[in-house]
Formats: sequence, structure tokens, C-alpha cells
Amino acid sequence: MAVQPPPPLRTESVGPASAGGMGTPTAGTPVGQAPGAGSNQNLNQIVLEYLSKKGYSRTEAMLRRESGNIAFDATGQPVTFDDKFKGRRWHEAYSVVKTWIDSILDIYKPELSRILWPLFVHCFIETIADCFPGEGRFFFTECRKPFDDEHSDDLRALSNVQEPEHVQQNDIAQLYRTNKYRLTLSKMGFATLIEFLKTKEGEGGKSINFLINNHLDIRTVDRAAIGGVRGLQKLMEEKQGDEQAPAEDEGIPGHHPGSANLSPDATGALHRLQLAPMPMEIDLMDDVKAELNHEDSSNPPRPGRSTLVEQFEQRIKVEPSDDTAPSRDSIPFPPSTARDVAMEVQKVKEDRDRFRIEGKTGGVGPGVSVTMITFHNTFDTVNCVEFSDDNTLAAVGTAESYIRVWSLDNRALASPQDPPGFQPSSSRRLVGHSGPVYALSFSPSAAVPAPPTNGHTDHQSSPDSHPRYMLSCSADTTIRLWSLDTWTNLVVYRSHNSPVWDVRFCPHGHYFVSSSADRTARLWSTPQIAPLRIFAGHDSDVETVAWHPNGAYVFTGAGVGDKTVRMWSIAQGTQARIFTGHTGNVNAIACAPNGHVVASADDKGVIILWDLRTGRLVKRMRGHGPGGIWSLGWSVESSVLVSGGADCSVRVWDVQPSKETQAKVNGENGAVAKVDGPAINGGAVASKVGKVKGREQSTADMISDFKTKKSPVYTARFTNMNLVVAGGAYLP
Amino acid sequence: MSVWNPENVTDVAESIGIASLNRDVVEHLARDVEYRMSQVLNEALKFMRHGKRTTLTTQDVSQALRLLDVEPLYGYESTRPLRFGEASIGPGQPLFYVEDEEVDFEKLINAPLPKVPREMSYTAHWLAVEGVQPSIPQNPLTDPRSAELAAKGSSANSTLAAVSGNDNIAVKPLVKHILSKELQLYFERICGAILDESNEEYRSAAFASLRTDTGLHQLIPYFIQFVADKVTHNLKNIFVLTQTMQLLAALLDNQSLFLAPYVPGNVPSILTCLIGKHLGNPALDGATTHFALRDYSASLLSKTACQYGPSSSTLKPRIARSCLKHFLDSHKPFGTHYGAVLGLAMIAGAQGVRTLILPNLKAYDLHLQEGMKDDGGKREQAEYVKQAILRALQTLQEDAVMEMSSNGHPAGEALRERLGAVGEVVGARVFESGREGLIGAVLERDPVV
Repeated sequence: MAVQPPPPLRTESVGPASAGGMGTPTAGTPVGQAPGAGSNQNLNQIVLEYLSKKGYSRTEAMLRRESGNIAFDATGQPVTFDDKFKGRRWHEAYSVVKTWIDSILDIYKPELSRILWPLFVHCFIETIADCFPGEGRFFFTECRKPFDDEHSDDLRALSNVQEPEHVQQNDIAQLYRTNKYRLTLSKMGFATLIEFLKTKEGEGGKSINFLINNHLDIRTVDRAAIGGVRGLQKLMEEKQGDEQAPAEDEGIPGHHPGSANLSPDATGALHRLQLAPMPMEIDLMDDVKAELNHEDSSNPPRPGRSTLVEQFEQRIKVEPSDDTAPSRDSIPFPPSTARDVAMEVQKVKEDRDRFRIEGKTGGVGPGVSVTMITFHNTFDTVNCVEFSDDNTLAAVGTAESYIRVWSLDNRALASPQDPPGFQPSSSRRLVGHSGPVYALSFSPSAAVPAPPTNGHTDHQSSPDSHPRYMLSCSADTTIRLWSLDTWTNLVVYRSHNSPVWDVRFCPHGHYFVSSSADRTARLWSTPQIAPLRIFAGHDSDVETVAWHPNGAYVFTGAGVGDKTVRMWSIAQGTQARIFTGHTGNVNAIACAPNGHVVASADDKGVIILWDLRTGRLVKRMRGHGPGGIWSLGWSVESSVLVSGGADCSVRVWDVQPSKETQAKVNGENGAVAKVDGPAINGGAVASKVGKVKGREQSTADMISDFKTKKSPVYTARFTNMNLVVAGGAYLP
Repeated sequence: MSVWNPENVTDVAESIGIASLNRDVVEHLARDVEYRMSQVLNEALKFMRHGKRTTLTTQDVSQALRLLDVEPLYGYESTRPLRFGEASIGPGQPLFYVEDEEVDFEKLINAPLPKVPREMSYTAHWLAVEGVQPSIPQNPLTDPRSAELAAKGSSANSTLAAVSGNDNIAVKPLVKHILSKELQLYFERICGAILDESNEEYRSAAFASLRTDTGLHQLIPYFIQFVADKVTHNLKNIFVLTQTMQLLAALLDNQSLFLAPYVPGNVPSILTCLIGKHLGNPALDGATTHFALRDYSASLLSKTACQYGPSSSTLKPRIARSCLKHFLDSHKPFGTHYGAVLGLAMIAGAQGVRTLILPNLKAYDLHLQEGMKDDGGKREQAEYVKQAILRALQTLQEDAVMEMSSNGHPAGEALRERLGAVGEVVGARVFESGREGLIGAVLERDPVV
């Protein structure tokens, strides 16, 4: 049989889905590997004869067709693409697509270049699974360059995968193999891609097609029509800004932006959330009102100031019509005590008396005061720093498994269990864990000062408002509850089966949530030793947790491989929102006190704001150096965000949506965005953010940047009076 | 092919008695070892990240091994990074090993115990005050280059950049925030008034205004600066010193001012007036006028410390330390000692007198006696110090638990001798006073700490 060009027989645009089992070479191995050079033709003849004799006409036809497709080399061996390159076939296939995408029209480039990452991963995994470790490694080192920025963690996890069994065991590889990577392309872009793959069928197009069918979930949209944030204009802008960031619906979870509905035919409609503050108990409200009345009469407000009762009424009245409040029945709490009344009263007072921080008005950010508490002689053993709500206690968790608590006002930390004659100092050690302590959380408390005398601080908090409990979590997989009255361990919570990374008390106390390397977050109540809810769904370690201010939702952030921020409902135990967009491990999450925006930060130095109601990204803020942002905090008015991290700085951010975004939203509501030259250029003028000469430059919404002296900032948060308190360890 | 040398695998195989391994198997194993190691490292990195560190420690690796259900390696726990020695076993084939020091057992046992590592502690400072970073030693020097970058980054925020001094140097205003004409005028008038020796009325009006006016916050740094200036340049002028102290007192009295951030700037001036070497001109004002100033400064200092001590935990210890230092320095004149004793008694209270003054009295006695013998002006001064010490001791009496253990003290000469423990001069006075409580308090040699 002579060499002949393969006729384009396939009519469908997709490749065979049958090929590609584990460890076996995929797709169309030629029928026979005959030993002799000339015998191949004979063999075919023999088989064909046999088939026609037996009457297997369809099999015969198929064989004829397939053998027609096969090219033969000089010795008469059939040569397919796969055979020609052996271990390099995935490399070749990937290179073909990559070169094509690099040279394609600018209009398709931004979106089509997003497809390269999943293709790269799969090509690499397939090469390894086909038992070509050398080629796999070569391909990996050759082609990893473009992804170094965005996917460095995934690359590190994959870099030493060399054997088929590693593919079986590697988390990332399994994640990509067992899930479909979702990607949104415009209709035209996708069609062009498929057409290209068809023309290159013999040169690897088939392999790529196979990957797209099996491991990718490509959604097509008409970008010109939808406009807005997913529109083409936006894409072009991002390309101009050189900003490489995944779209909000791209990635493994495969969901509509924000939506937590993971079924493939989800419509994208979002659950309604109950974001309003939790209503107060009726009894508590009456008590608080009575107390405030008493306070007003004994301490009449200065002229021009509202009375506390008025302030309280105003506080309750603020009830936007579009938010429903969670019901107290769905989340039961123990009945309120005198302590709760005192705390509520104090909250109302603080509401009236605090220094208000308004947003960025007239281009000038608000001046924020920061108190830095620096720990010395730590020898880098401090893992976390935490301050109590009333700012009287500071606690650090150390790598040496103990917790140390200081009183910030030099009060002696006495315990009724002290032996007689014992002189309590202003610091205590809590010993109990058998592994590094990774997070601490104080139960809610309020600083109830003596009658305020115009800023002259004398913080003689009445004793009943002090925090009474503290939670700690550790690598020994336990969570411990400590009493701050006796300074002893009260409860050990065991259920996690990997190190526990984070633990947080509910803003109203009683409940707490923990997150662990076992990929779950768990909800507990202090009196019970078994978790009430297990929040499972993350594809990697749950690195951090945070509460919604009304206590009805929690947020979790995950690390390598997953990198999502998820919102869970306490009452239902289900996911309410999924946010994708981070490119590094999510290290810190904080929800705004108004309950509508959540901020999350990753170790690439990016902070993202998410709108809870729409489930969409509000904006991306950069400026922190790499190494991780370890703490986020909101001002009480939700107008300003403060962050602290490994780059030894405390930064203050403006959270108002940037002008471009606003304009974009307007555009979305108005006429359909035009997709023509001038419009694109016009839009592209906007934000030009990115790296300047290798140095990270900050976005314009950074209000201030306070550097510390060689002290990484472990925690930074606003107090109830809008002063920032930051904690760090001095590491000379 | 792999980074992990397949030779190693062969070596290990031979060491456990497998003589010949297939080449393919060796390579396969080498690749597997490499993968496993990277897996352990990846897990260990997680622990490093959560420990908020940038160096990987052996502990992280042990934790990672535990997480992967592998028995951790023992014997590598170390708080400092391991040192690796390098040995060459052939050209281009370095061999690394952990350096194990040989320790002489005898020597190790007999060696003095190493120093106890310093205790973990914390300090607090202002990282920023209303959006501006104060230039105090705790904050880093502003690197002009980074300032430039930051200013570019927050381009929309030029006003704030200007305020913090990151603006273009050429147009940097001397006054960083704008003072209204009225405030400037007010400041000038007040400063003039309080230094006006001739007009008593004028002065008191100025102080009254400082005590009560509400809108003075912007002027505080200027007043502090003014006081510091005057104090440093007018050490010979008792009048100016007294007036500046009164100015500070007036500010402290003002209910609408929040002085906490400025206290560290305040304290040196007050301390100067309290324990300065030579205050005032003895020829002009008389030799003892400065004691009145010291008295006044001491009360001012104690008021400051009471008001702001709770918000700055290091304030009181710092003041007490410098007072004690001056008290113990016998080369300083009696005036300084007088101030130091006053300061200690006021800042640290009875507890401080007991632990800081009482044990040092014996040593101080020598100096005091010398002074008493001198016929010149020194005698008078020493007398003042004696009075101050006695006053300090009286606080002890008030503080002492009034249980009156009357089984206690011998009478007459024996008591006098025992009182010698606080020095002859003071002891004699205590004895003469004949007050049971005072004697009891002084003799109570059991500092309750």
C-alpha cells in the first residue's frame, strides 16, 4: 500500500472519548506490530479475508478505513503521530497549540491563553502516566515559565511527579484528573480553536481534543452581548494591564461566579442570603434600654450629642429592606446574662463616642492611628498573636506548644487556684498542647471603662466584661478551651484528624469554628465535645476561617490546589457562595461589619473584596510584598480595611469600588457594550497595574503604608473605637 | 536523569544485602525517592507557612512526616540551623554530612551553665498617629526610595503624602500642618505672657486659659517644643523653669486635651527640672530656691505618671530607673539627690521606697555625713535631702500593715544600733522621732516582692 495523505474522514469535531486508560498509551494504537517488514500488508489481507469470510462486514469496513489512515514509514511500519514522537507527543501537541495561541488575533488571545494552563497540566500528567519520566521532566521545565507567577504552588506540587503511581497519589494531579476544569470562552474563540485542532489533527490536534473533551468543561458565551465584567472589553483591559488572574468562574470547582451550586446545569441563580444583623432577644433589649435610660439620667450627654437611648433606637432601626435577618430560632443561644447587658450597653456607648472613619473623601484617605505591640526575644517561635476585644489581654501561641498571655495594663493575672502567698505576675503560661499552636481566639468581651473623662484613659474595666475563655488550636489535632479566670484548660475538642490551622469564636460567643489540614472546617458549640457541623468541600487544606458579623455564616479559605473562598450557612450546613480568583494560598479573611462585603488575602500579596449579595468580585488590591498577608481588619463603619503581613508593614486600604468598576457596572446596566477598536482602547487606558521593574507596585486604593522595624505583622485589627492595634515579633 | 543519584539507591541496597539490582529498578526507585522527598518538603512548607516563618526548620519536617504517617526522624531537633560539613570523595562528588561536634563529657559537666535565654516580653509604640508615622526609634527610617514609590502608588493620595513628608523635598513646608492665624497669635501671646516677670495678672490669665480652653489640641506639640527649648537654654533661670513647669501642669489639667502621645516628649523636661545638677543661679536666687522647683516638678511628674502610667506600661519603670541612677551617683550634688528621692517616692510609692531607697541608705549615709560636717552651703543642702528621705520613710509607715507587733524591737541603744542599718544620720532621726510605727516600718527588713 502506498503512502497516502489521510483523508479528513471525521465529521464530528470531537475526538474519541474511549481512549486513555491509566498507564496505557492512548488513542489509536495500530492494529498489529508485525515482526517482519513486508508482512504487515499480508497480515492485513489475511485479517480482511477472515472478516469477510465470517461476515463481519462492519468490522471489516472499519479496519479498511483505519488502515487507510495510517501512514507508513520507509520500512513499511505504520507511523502515527503518537508513534513518531512517543514520549514527546504531548509536548509536541502542547507546543502546537501554544505557538498558535501566541500568534493568534489579539481579540482571542486573552481568553484562549487561559486554556494553556489546564492543557499544560494534563499534557504533563499524561506524559508521566505513559511512563516517560525523562520526557515529562523535560516538558515540565521547558514549558512551565508562563505559569510561574500564577500557579507557583501547583507547579511546586507537580514538579517531582515522575512515575504513574505518583500521578495516582499526587493531590494536584488527582484533582485535575477527577474534575473538569471549567473555562469560559467566547463562541467565536472556541470555534476557532476547534477548527484549528481539526486542521492539525495529525500533529497533535487529536490529543488536545481528547484532553478538552475529557478534562475540560468549556462554557461558551457571547461576550459581545453580555458585556460587563465578563465582556470582551474587560478581558482586553486585563491583558493591557498585564494582569494574570483567573476569571471568577474558572477552575476546578466549576461553578457560576459566586454560586455554590456545583451541578453542571446550574443556572447561576444565587441563594438569597440573610445578611442583616441578628435580632436582639426581647428581654435583653428591654434590659439594655432600662440600663441606658439609667445611664442617660445619671450622665446626661453633652449638648449636641444624642442620648444613649436615641442612639440605641437608631442602631436597631437600621434595617435595610432588601436584607432579611437570620432568625434566633435557627441558631439557638443560651439566655442572656447581666454580662451581655453590660456589653450591649458598652457597644451603644462606643457607637456614639467613637472616632468615625469615613471613606476616602475628596481623594484624601482618613488618617488612621496604629498602635504596634512588638514582642521581643521570641527567636521566631511565635506562631500567632491575638488581642482580646477589650484590649486588656494579649496572647501568643508558640511553636513550643505553650500559650503565653499578658495583661496589657499590667494587671496581675490572679487565679483562685493559686497557692496562698503566690504573687501572680502580669503574664501566664498555658501548657497543654503537644504541638505548635497555630491560632488563638478570645471569647467576645467589651471594654467597659469608668465614666469617660475626655480621652484621658483610665481603663478600669469592670471585671465582668473581661473575656472569660480562650480557644487554641494546634498541630496535635486538638482544640482546647481555656478559662481565663482560673488559667486552666477546660475542654479538649477532638475530631479533626490533621493539624488544626485556625479557630474562631462566633461574634456572639457560644459557637466556634475550626479549620484543619483534613480539608474540612467544623462548627462546634463550647459545651459539646463533638462538632455540630462538618463543612466539607474544599479540595485542599482549609487555611483560615472567619465569621459573618451576624453569626449565621462562616467563611473558609483554602490553600494550594483549591484557592477558593467559600461561605457556609450555619443553619443549613451547606455552601452558600464560592469565590474563585486567588492565585495563592488564602491566608486571611475578614467580613465587613455591615455584612455585605468580605475581604480575603493570599500569600501573593493580593487582597480581593467580594460582594456577598451578588457573589461577585468587587476589586483586587495589591501592594503587599510576597510572603503572605496574615491579618485583615475592618473599621467599624466598614469604610477602611487594614492589613498586616510578612513584609513588615501595616497597610490601610480604601474599600470603595474603584471608578472603573463603577463605570463598568453602569455600562452593564445601560446599553450593550460595544466591541470595536476605539472602545477597547478607551477602556484600556484605565488601570495599568502590575510589576514595575520587578518591584510590586501598589494599586491606587492603598491609603497608607506603615513599615515596621524588622517586625512581621501577625495581626492587625481595628478596636471598637477605630484605633488599629497591630501585633508582631521583632526579628533582628 | 533524576536529581537523586541512582548510585545512592544501589549503595543502600548493597548495605542491606541486595547485591544486584536491575538498572531500571534502581532508576525507578531513585525517582520515587525524589518524589517522596518533595512530598515531605511540600508538607513541611505548610507548617512553615502556618508558623509564619520564612525558614524551614527540622521541626517542620518532623511535623510533615507525622502528617504523612511516617515515623519522624529523631535526633535532628534543633532550634538553630544545622551545619553541614562537606567532604570530597572524588572529583565533582561532594558529600555532605551533618557536623557532629565531639564533646568532652567531663568538660560539659563542669562547664558553667549557659546563660538563660532572655524572657519574651512586649513593648508598645505608635506606628502611626492619624495617618502619619512618627519618627521615633521604634519606627524604621523612611527610605526616600520607597517613599517615592509609595507616593507614586497612591497617586490619588498626594495630600497625605505631603503631610507625611513624602512630598517633593523642594516644596516641603516647615510647618507640616497649617495652623490658623488665630492659633499662631494665641501661641505667641501665651508664650509671651507666661515669661513676663512683671505682670502677675497677665501670667495667671494665660494659665487659666490653658487650663480651660478646648481648641488647643493642634498647639500641643508646639508647647511641648517650647518647654523643651526653654528648659535646655535657661537652666540658670529659676523663674523660666518654674513657669514652663506650670505651663505643663496647666496643659495636663486641661480636660479636653489628650496628651498620651506626647508624654514621652514631656518627661525629659520635667526630669531635668527635678534632678538637674545646677538649677538656677545660687548667687541671685539664694542657695535653696531650687528645692521648691524640684518639689513642684516632682508633683507634676507623679501626676503625669498617674494619668498616663496605665496607657504606657514602661513609663513608670523608666522614670524610676533614671531617678535611682542619680540617687546612687554620689558625685552628683545634693540637689540632684533630693530630686531623685522625691521622684522615687512619688512614682514608686511605699513599695518603691522599700525596695529602692531603704537598701541603699546605709551606703548613702557616708555621703550624707560628709555633707553634714561641711560648714559651707552643703550642710543646708544635706539637711534638705535628710528631710526628703525621712518624708519618704514616712510613706512606709502609712503603707505598713498596722498590726503593731509590739513583741518586736529592743529599746534604747540596741534599737539605735539596729537603726544604724539605714545609716547613722537618718537612723538617729528616726530614733529621735520615737514613733513606733515609723521605726517598725523601717526595721521591717522583709521587702514584700
